[in-house]
Amino acid sequence: MTDGAATMDNGSLTVLILEDEPMILWDLEQEFSDAGLHPITARSAEQALDLIGHTVPDVAVLDVNLGDGKTCEPVADRLSQLGVPFLIHSGDLDRAGEVVRRFDVPVMPKPTPAYLLAEAARALR
Amino acid sequence: MEEGKRNMTNERDQVHRAYDDSPQRFLDGNEQDKFAGADSVLFEQAMAQTRMAICLSDPHADDFPVVFANRAFLELTGYLEDEVVGRNCRFLQGPETDPVNVAKVRTAIEDETVVVVELLNYRKDGTRFWNALHLGPIYNEDGKLLYYFGSQWDVSDVHAARAEEEYAKTLSRELSHRMKNMFAVIGSIVNITGRTHDIRSEARMINERIQALGRAYEPTLDEASLGSIELGQAMRSVLAPYDPEDRRIRYLGNGLRADPNFVSVVGLSLHELATNAVKHGAFSNETGTVSVDWKHRDAAHDTPEQIEIEWIERGGPQVAQPVTASGSGHSIMQSMVAMAGGTITYDWKSDGLAVTIAIPHSGSAA
Repeated sequence: MTDGAATMDNGSLTVLILEDEPMILWDLEQEFSDAGLHPITARSAEQALDLIGHTVPDVAVLDVNLGDGKTCEPVADRLSQLGVPFLIHSGDLDRAGEVVRRFDVPVMPKPTPAYLLAEAARALR
Repeated sequence: MEEGKRNMTNERDQVHRAYDDSPQRFLDGNEQDKFAGADSVLFEQAMAQTRMAICLSDPHADDFPVVFANRAFLELTGYLEDEVVGRNCRFLQGPETDPVNVAKVRTAIEDETVVVVELLNYRKDGTRFWNALHLGPIYNEDGKLLYYFGSQWDVSDVHAARAEEEYAKTLSRELSHRMKNMFAVIGSIVNITGRTHDIRSEARMINERIQALGRAYEPTLDEASLGSIELGQAMRSVLAPYDPEDRRIRYLGNGLRADPNFVSVVGLSLHELATNAVKHGAFSNETGTVSVDWKHRDAAHDTPEQIEIEWIERGGPQVAQPVTASGSGHSIMQSMVAMAGGTITYDWKSDGLAVTIAIPHSGSAA
């Protein structure tokens, strides 16, 4: 593992969660912590890219539509470059499909219970 | 006043029915060798009678002028014959006509090929219409190019219908997206509350029921305007998570529609049955299967018109009739179905549970 890798000393996976809906983000953050993961959260693509600049996560869970017609694509691009596996968590499977086709990643449709998402995030690694 | 109006209407009516002599006049003004004998009669009859707007243009004259336009053409465009004949057909184009499609027409003419395009055209009074233009070369027996044939058909209605359909699709997609998002937010709130009050397993159970309900309505948004729901789609959607590989549940019913409020009872009942099957029944091992059937039953002497749903488990572990605790899945189902005026019957057979749910429902359309 390189210096930039985020896996903490206790071995928990660092998971980037990108989600613009605060309630969902809060739920996922808590559930992921409960599941022994180390969540870092972002509500916009800019925030996520900023976070990735400091800490490269081990895996990521990305919502597709982030409001104002913005999507997670720039983040997906960056993660792909870094070789970080991620999954798509979206209620708009039509639009999610475009991202999925580009990156060939797993999709968890909204709504999916948070504990199942935590399991799926862990399985990415 | 009234009289005058009627006269005008009659007059227009008569003009409409009067014989269209433009083909004859066209033939009279042209060399006989172009349309000879029977051909000319056919041409004359066909052009006069068709409701399709038709024109011919002369590719050998300067600027490709229209040399013939039938009455349907004049009716469609609002021009008089002498305003059309002698001019290039582009007078039908206007500011919002797509130049790309016009270029297609030009290319087809240069290549002497057939083209079909939809152009936004303008009538004499400035109103617009979508014109399905079919254009192609006409040759004589010796293969010499004589005319270009153009038929125009007003497809404005088709365009409007398409735009409406497109809008409805976009709207239902947006609604569906929002609904899923809303169910996700509700799920998060229940989860967070459960965590805060340390009632996680209860919260999870509540969530699973809410999410099952969400799935039951999910496939219905696309056809929300129909006012009823295809029961099979709703059932498949509710049960999908219990059979991710699509090999353990057989769906036998087909094509039955029901009121939206019917779907919540059915959706939640199936969720309880499936959850129970995961714990004790056909989904608790690797090989058990479930068949689900649903049909409409006409009113009989002692039962109203109703929809009957059959859930039959096979290949699960042998089960004994459970002691029904209040608050369990079974008792919740009992109460829900009873609220809907229906009945639920259980049969704990040795090879699996069989459940029949019958709920009154009038006007079920197949």
